[in-house]
Amino acid sequence: MKAEVSRRKFLQGSVAMTILGGTAVTAPNLLSNEHAAKPSIISKTGTGANTKVVPTLCEMCVNKCAALARVENGVITKLDPNPLFPKSRNMLCPRGNAGIAALYDPDRLKYPMIRAGEKGEGKFKRVTWDEAYDYIKEKTLKILDEEKDNRSSFLFCAGEGMAEHTFKSFYEAFGSANWLNHASVCLQTVVSGYGVTLGGYPQADMENAEYIIMAGANRAEAIVTPDTMDLFKRTKRRGAKLICVDPRFTNTAAKADTWLAIKPGTDLAFVLALTYVVLTEELYDKKYVAENFNGFDEYKSTVINNLYTPEWASRITNIPSKEITKIAREFMAHAPKAIYYPGRRSTFAKNDFQLRRAMAIFQGLGGGIDTKGGLIFGKKLKLKTRESLAPLYDRAQGRAMGKKVKKAKGQTGYEDCAIVASGGSWIGWRNRFLEGKMPYKVRGMFIYKHNPVMNTPNSAKTIEMLKKMELVVAIDTMPSDTVMYADVVLPEAHYLERTDPVKTFGGLEPSIAQRNKVIEPMYETKPVRDILRSLTRMLSKPIFEITKKYDEMVQEEIEESGEAKVFAEFDINLPFRENQEHFNEHEVSQYPGAAEALATRGVFYPNMDKYFKQLSVNEHEYYPESEKAYTVRGGKPKTRSGKVECNLSNLAKKGIDPMPIWRKEYEYTIPEGKFRMLTGRHAQFTQSGTSNNAKLRDLMPENFIWINKRIAKEKGIEFADMIEVSSSVGKTKLRAYPTEKIAPDAVFFIHGFGEESEALTWAYRSGGNDNAIIEDHTEPVYGAAAMHETNVEIRKV
Amino acid sequence: MARYGMALDYKNCINCKACEVACKEENGILMGADKHRIWVGTGEIEGEYPLLSIASNTFYPSQCQHCDDAPCQEVCPTNATYYDENSIVRVDPEKCILCSYCMNACPYDARYVDDRTVTVDKCNFCTDTRLDRGEVTTACQATCPTKVRIFGDLDDPESEISQVLRERESKTLKAHLGTNPKLFYLL
Repeated sequence: MKAEVSRRKFLQGSVAMTILGGTAVTAPNLLSNEHAAKPSIISKTGTGANTKVVPTLCEMCVNKCAALARVENGVITKLDPNPLFPKSRNMLCPRGNAGIAALYDPDRLKYPMIRAGEKGEGKFKRVTWDEAYDYIKEKTLKILDEEKDNRSSFLFCAGEGMAEHTFKSFYEAFGSANWLNHASVCLQTVVSGYGVTLGGYPQADMENAEYIIMAGANRAEAIVTPDTMDLFKRTKRRGAKLICVDPRFTNTAAKADTWLAIKPGTDLAFVLALTYVVLTEELYDKKYVAENFNGFDEYKSTVINNLYTPEWASRITNIPSKEITKIAREFMAHAPKAIYYPGRRSTFAKNDFQLRRAMAIFQGLGGGIDTKGGLIFGKKLKLKTRESLAPLYDRAQGRAMGKKVKKAKGQTGYEDCAIVASGGSWIGWRNRFLEGKMPYKVRGMFIYKHNPVMNTPNSAKTIEMLKKMELVVAIDTMPSDTVMYADVVLPEAHYLERTDPVKTFGGLEPSIAQRNKVIEPMYETKPVRDILRSLTRMLSKPIFEITKKYDEMVQEEIEESGEAKVFAEFDINLPFRENQEHFNEHEVSQYPGAAEALATRGVFYPNMDKYFKQLSVNEHEYYPESEKAYTVRGGKPKTRSGKVECNLSNLAKKGIDPMPIWRKEYEYTIPEGKFRMLTGRHAQFTQSGTSNNAKLRDLMPENFIWINKRIAKEKGIEFADMIEVSSSVGKTKLRAYPTEKIAPDAVFFIHGFGEESEALTWAYRSGGNDNAIIEDHTEPVYGAAAMHETNVEIRKV
Repeated sequence: MARYGMALDYKNCINCKACEVACKEENGILMGADKHRIWVGTGEIEGEYPLLSIASNTFYPSQCQHCDDAPCQEVCPTNATYYDENSIVRVDPEKCILCSYCMNACPYDARYVDDRTVTVDKCNFCTDTRLDRGEVTTACQATCPTKVRIFGDLDDPESEISQVLRERESKTLKAHLGTNPKLFYLL
């Protein structure tokens, strides 16, 4: 019986050791602007009067789980799961529960500010909204005038969120071609790899799969709804066999039947060897392949002729060849109810795009596509969309891309990537900007809910970039490291203080959900839509004057049809005029009763009242089995050809391998005395956005660096010793966690800690910042950040 | 009048600690790692990389076991620890003198000191918050992503917990001590 882990033992053994005890932070005393840490009376729920419950959607991570907010006397006292939402299945994770601490965080951005000191110094003066808008207007007009109406002299950046598109409408109306979002530090390669191979980024039917290979994904810690909930009710010999492939022993490994400690960055060799076994032993679904594959014979002969044998892969991956053979056979024995889990992480190795292609093809060999227990495309409830305003500015230059260069065999691509995706390459763009390789001057920057100083490898370079920008406008809720380099700070309302654009969630059980405002925005904060409405109202006419001055096309049009008519097409205020609630009502107007259901219950789907059933206190049924969208295309992939694309000659034209193959350059050895730096996620934190959350820091106040126990012993490192981690680009400091859960030649710590912003009371220099030391490696296809390609040194300090 | 207990499908637990945060929010528990009514127990992993014992890293959600024969209640000199009408082991802060006998007597280490009231505190199955409002789940059960917990009346043969305990095997912690816990770990 191992359950005898006592409170004391638990505390001793826990990384979550805290010295924070006693800082009582309860909702009421956070309403003041001071950092009052006075102990309050017990703040349990049910003590206030005037109680109401408002359905909303969580924003503590990307999942958007449905929550019910309990409000007592105008204060949110509790967030509970909203059982009506099929995606989040009646649950809220620790971060979802801690949303209240984010709302009442005393460090929140409270009013508009203009920089008063040097960039990064953290000195700002409080201004009125109009003063802030005036400042932005003046600087924007100056830059646009000097750049002769080249709208692309401004860069727009956004993090993920329900209002990301609202901000993007500002970028589109403004007319810049420079858009950088989270994609290139997020899931660009996985989405694109599956996109070109299967025609879409599929979901996984974790409720019915019998065999799951989870490689480089960690659903017990990087929670994705509903995958996490569906999977772990069925592991441990309860219906789903789980093979976890990860260089670290994660919480997912703890729930697996088999854990395979793979060498970082070699998953592609593992998949190719699985494929080799399946092809040579002819275990694949021959009927499915004959009907649904393109380029199968070429791929088959490539894999076989290259001798991607289990023995070959074993030497590269450190996974025993017998295990590879066994897994390949077991997977195909369970197919099509077998899943090679796609995952949705950042790019780790330079071969990630090819890895995703190989995974998608392997999945197809078992026929587990668009079918129960396999990968599924599902259905999506359509929303009414409106035309966005995207005026044509003749003087606006194209996106600031790298130079076109000749790749091998006369093929062309760009100097830092083969394909420029809509979200761009953060590292590529930033480095070109710093190296003076821009085709024109980019002088201003609007940032929404995005923290590139923390989220993009090589923080020092991102800081340099922000310092070089003449105008940086940041819209955010927290004084992040990035906000410290802003010239103007515009405080956004917290997610519990605003109604966001309604969103449709596709899948097996499609639904529509809405984030409803729970309480009025505190301080002087506003939803981004309201911020942009006011800002564009002030900007619209003056910047049109600049267009009039330089844009000959516009001049001609005005002569022909008059200024009023032309201005109507250039009025950047247009997309923001309507209020959010009204906008949402229109978007769902084709579904009777939807707007009301979304406002009062948070969730809507056709026949919800008929279909939704509570099966037990914990379990609910959202759709009857016969209505679940397991198969929507008769098992065919969503590619234009309707087939799994093994061999893409159009990729070859851009200098990309047309089929997934292993290249010698993917192999590496770690120099003596160095360690492979690994980063990753955690169930209690979502990147840097949650690093100052008091309730989450209560569980783990700082991140720790995992060092193999034997190595730690050799180096005289003990638990909680301070360690300096350094690479060619920087240094960071954090405490040690010696453990056997990591290889002797690797170190790991979770992302999102070690912020340098002094305005973050708790996050300031708490733990280490991975991106201070991760080097700016990019993968060759999209220029996405390759985050596991850095070797580091460690020393006790 | 009920006899409340809880069944834990502990193999579902992924150690995400949603229950810990939900408990603290619902019941207004102080911050600090030594202030918690519930927790997830883990042991140090056994073996050497890469040959590690998966079983040694099992997660055990834990808390007050609401024993039918609770040592904490027996040793309390002021009757501050008592069984309420629903057989829940409770602490009356008005009577507690912080002698800490109960903390030593509890074999499950389920008690801690609330620094505001300077008395001993522990899980009470959300009695004075959720149950008082007529809700049928505890905060930890409601929020759990993988639905580890089933809370309910052990005396009601129709309750879900009674049904589950009839249908599935379960164990109690430190059964040899004769404390008769009302928390059941489902096998």
